[in-house]
Amino acid sequence: MVKCSPRLLNRTFAALADPTRRRILEHLAQGDRCVTDLARPYSMSLPAVSKHLRVLENAGLIRRRRRGRVHSLKLEARPMQRALAWIEEYRKFWEESFDRLDQYLKQLQTKEKK
Amino acid sequence: MSTQNNPTEKIAAQPFMITREFAAPRELVWKAWTEPERMRQWFGPKGFTGTTVKLDLRPGGMLHSCLRSPDDKEMWGKWIFREVRPPELLVWVHSFSDKDGGITRHPLSPTWPLELLTETTFVERGAKTIVTLKWTPLNATDEEIKTFNNAHQGMTQGWGGTFEQLTEYLAKN
Repeated sequence: MVKCSPRLLNRTFAALADPTRRRILEHLAQGDRCVTDLARPYSMSLPAVSKHLRVLENAGLIRRRRRGRVHSLKLEARPMQRALAWIEEYRKFWEESFDRLDQYLKQLQTKEKK
Repeated sequence: MSTQNNPTEKIAAQPFMITREFAAPRELVWKAWTEPERMRQWFGPKGFTGTTVKLDLRPGGMLHSCLRSPDDKEMWGKWIFREVRPPELLVWVHSFSDKDGGITRHPLSPTWPLELLTETTFVERGAKTIVTLKWTPLNATDEEIKTFNNAHQGMTQGWGGTFEQLTEYLAKN
């Protein structure tokens, strides 16, 4: 099972709950971007984008690097992986249980045939 | 996104469903599901070991069991049966619990529903059996329903291609 702090996980999910922020993450999955790159496709103001970026930063989903006056943004893999793993957790619980049940049933039936 | 929730309406819970076909007769699948000695052979993810401390297989009866993770953590669970119709239907209320059988919160999520109605059907198809399990939150608050919906719809609905792209990215990093 996945281990991580519930507080961070909640922050991650809160950050992911917004469609604009998910689109920003999608962009960053294609490579690092600067703030103006991210604002352009949505014709959003820089302050509006910055607000979203701060939420993503606080959730540990992105990292900011400063090169002079340009801020470059990078997607952080680990918290995202944790969130994805958690989302898939209970599906995995049943999938893996079913895999084991499948094997167990096969075992039982070969025993009976002997 | 086209499907925005109306904040004035109570949020509808989206059931979680999972289906699997087993190459075994229905009676055997039912036994594997309802006899503690058999159940411990398969219940829980890979590497987990299960112990059933109590099983009272009848409406109102309880199953109380513990799953031990590979890193030796205990996870207690409790089922209260609602319908027991061998070998075709088993309905129970599923919750996390402590070792004394008291209902507890999800260890990782404070807003996970306390109770999930679980309906499991066993359908005979020739020599095979199709098992379908359906989870629906019970007596849940809006926030709990949202947590539940988000968790299993994440991969398929409302998230567009985000997860696919991210999964690809994560695999490379």
